[in-house]
Amino acid sequence: MFLTSYMRRLEGWIILFKKVDPTVKKETRFIAIVVLLLLVLMEAVFLVIGQWDMTVLLGGVYGAAVAVGNFFLMGLTVQKCLTLEPDEAKKRMKLSQQGRLLMLLVLCMIGAALPCFHTVAVLVPQFFPRIGVTIRGLTMKDKDS
Amino acid sequence: MLEIAIGIILGCCALGAGICMGIGAIGPGVGEGHAVANACEAIGRQPEAKGAVTSTMIMGCAISETTGIYALVIAILLIFVAPGMLVNTLTKAIKTLGA
Repeated sequence: MFLTSYMRRLEGWIILFKKVDPTVKKETRFIAIVVLLLLVLMEAVFLVIGQWDMTVLLGGVYGAAVAVGNFFLMGLTVQKCLTLEPDEAKKRMKLSQQGRLLMLLVLCMIGAALPCFHTVAVLVPQFFPRIGVTIRGLTMKDKDS
Repeated sequence: MLEIAIGIILGCCALGAGICMGIGAIGPGVGEGHAVANACEAIGRQPEAKGAVTSTMIMGCAISETTGIYALVIAILLIFVAPGMLVNTLTKAIKTLGA
């Protein structure tokens, strides 16, 4: 019984991932590229200041994966919310935001607690999507003008 | 005495982290909710602009979520980094005063 319910839920998720809006895919791809570039830059900075080791690399990759995953989940929520009634969409978005923040807190705490990850290297990539959005805004403005 | 001081430091750090996350999570949640509700209305009025609205919406949500992430990072630093630093500073200060 439990397995059937689990399989049904899993199928629901697979269907949802297949139906990802092209806009969400495009924006996530852009953010992933920016995060990757900034991750390389961060690793270079650690190398220059002489603090680089394997934990920085692993922490950076882990932090970047969490940041991109959070952005993708946010895109999926927005995609779903835009098909709902405004009041219901508002509630769902609030719930999703709180759930994702909790997920980020747990994942970042795991990253900070495990000795194989550098704490700063886990936390810094969380800001990279914001930088990506700023760059995106500037490029969109240039296209408009 | 030192144990009490360390206990107060750890307690204050935990309390600060909790308050930081609690207050920091309110703003983005409310903001994103309002933005999405208005986006739904906009798409209802102009269904052909769905792509543009979705794109702007995702970017807007990412921006409003940043404040929550700032709070998250501060909370994690308060839990994992600040107690050690503060206890070290306290111990050094006591040693200096004792010497």
